[in-house]
Amino acid sequence: MSEEKNAKLSRRDFLKIAGLAGVAVQAGGLIAGGVAAGSDKESYTGWESFNPSTMFFNREPFRIESPAHKPVGEVRQPSHITDYVFGRVAMFQKALMEKPEWTIGDSVDELPMPPPVVAFYKQYPERMEWDYKTFTETIPNHDKDYEKYGNYFILAEVYRSGFAYHGGNLPKAHTPPEHSDFHQMVAGGPGAPLQEVPIPEPVPFKSPDLAAELIKELAHRYGATMVGITKPNIDFFYGDSWGGTDSDYDHSKLPEHWKYAIVIGVPMEWDQIVAGPQFTASYDAYDRVSTAGVRIEGMLKGLGYAARANTPMTHYDCLTPPHAIEAGLGEVGRPGYCITPEAGGNSRMAVIVTNLEMTVDKPIDIGVEAFCNKCKICAEQCPSGAISMADSPEEQEWGTGSVLRGYEHWYINNGACYNYWRESMGNLGCRHCVSVCPYTRKDNWLHDMARELDPRDPTGVVSSGLLWMQKNFFDYPESIEYKRPEEGGHFAVYGPEPYYMDVEKFLDIPFTNPSAGVK
Amino acid sequence: MFFNGNTFWFLNGIIFVVIVFALKAFAENKGWVMTWWKWLLSGIWYLIFCTGFYAWGTLIGENFPMPGFRFFLFNTFLSLILGVGLWRLLAIKPKTEA
Repeated sequence: MSEEKNAKLSRRDFLKIAGLAGVAVQAGGLIAGGVAAGSDKESYTGWESFNPSTMFFNREPFRIESPAHKPVGEVRQPSHITDYVFGRVAMFQKALMEKPEWTIGDSVDELPMPPPVVAFYKQYPERMEWDYKTFTETIPNHDKDYEKYGNYFILAEVYRSGFAYHGGNLPKAHTPPEHSDFHQMVAGGPGAPLQEVPIPEPVPFKSPDLAAELIKELAHRYGATMVGITKPNIDFFYGDSWGGTDSDYDHSKLPEHWKYAIVIGVPMEWDQIVAGPQFTASYDAYDRVSTAGVRIEGMLKGLGYAARANTPMTHYDCLTPPHAIEAGLGEVGRPGYCITPEAGGNSRMAVIVTNLEMTVDKPIDIGVEAFCNKCKICAEQCPSGAISMADSPEEQEWGTGSVLRGYEHWYINNGACYNYWRESMGNLGCRHCVSVCPYTRKDNWLHDMARELDPRDPTGVVSSGLLWMQKNFFDYPESIEYKRPEEGGHFAVYGPEPYYMDVEKFLDIPFTNPSAGVK
Repeated sequence: MFFNGNTFWFLNGIIFVVIVFALKAFAENKGWVMTWWKWLLSGIWYLIFCTGFYAWGTLIGENFPMPGFRFFLFNTFLSLILGVGLWRLLAIKPKTEA
């Protein structure tokens, strides 16, 4: 009888075994649950829905007094032909074609370029060296590389093309702000061309608060992932050209009706952005943020308010990061652009200027500057060394030191940056600093925990711990591995390319994978 | 998807209750007196322990399996150290009145 009793499992022992089994089942279940959370498309900020839930980070505890940008020296408006890299390199390329015997050892005065470009190159000689290298070495090399490896990255290019095609057809301002911002194009009837008509009388709002609330709500529904409101600042508007204006237009002061700026942001696709530099694309977000911007412009004009969308696919009259920072969307990071709490550096921005009175937002401080000072991952990873390795913005070692056009903040060597654009495979561009930025993280429990904890920790222990894990747990190729094979690289990528860019799976074409056989 | 749905978390809740009862039975066997702070510390420890598994899975889902595994190892190591401390605390007997 007593043996029989011993053979029976007691209630307590049963519970203990069930508990141990529960721990094992729960551990396995949590791994599976984690996989589901990590791969959940709902975590793809900006790609999951068109409503205000995309802006999920509560900024209110982190608001600081305006303005975030305070001039510390003589302010100069940016220029479309010098600071703006595409404008500058177009001038430089044209000059080199006209004077092919010119070499980098010759005086820049000998090149047939507008005086502001010559002056710019004298102020930033390292950028001239990079621009020269781009046109004399990098682009010819890229043409050879493209012949050999281009097919392997062709789906990244094709994916971009769809967005570029649509974005290229968005309406642009062809007349000065005093005219274009007060007119809109309306359908003239079936088959008839669009007609330009003046905007109607403004519909009054009950209050600036409610105007801001409605515009933000609609902005999300038009496709904006993030939205904030600030006042436009002439210091961040180009001083030499705006859409629809000619050179004798006065670009040194804002038109009277540019009273408010609605800043919107949209992230690039998340599976692509981790596959930097070769498989990333800007055009998806360019097109989406431009479309949202043009929609907002149209909506404001429909309400009777003057409006102009500054977007990547239409025209930029202004710089977007400083306005985004003033509107509280984020803070400037080491790569010189706006780092937002929701999407990190993965944000493409647009600014819609208008005369609709709205309550403006305040900037935020979530500790990006302190984090960027100690992180440096983007600088270490940059294939062309375009990002400063200095310990703080004040210690930047290049260009005009800590101050750029009168303001102290991080900025990059955009000549070096553009050089790798022309070396990389796949889409034109790089975006690798976005790929590897620890702030560029999807919206799931793991990263949201970091998002919420770090800004609330005044000691910096959380950010140091997260950074330690980031640097020790994650594998990064050496920066040289991103370069072309002849320069010691293999056009490496940080994360795996999305399956929909797998040429081998989908296309019946010959290809050469430059990373084949590389561990 | 099951692993991302409410049913999954409901079942996890049931399993968690079983684990709590198992700890109670284990403590009785060992002669430990489970006070409120011991339950609290045990809960926090178990949360930390589970985080390693969930984070590993999450990073697998994000196509970063190796960083996930390293985090899991790190977290498990941390849990072991904390677990030793917790074990000693659980064994503390309440002060008896003189």
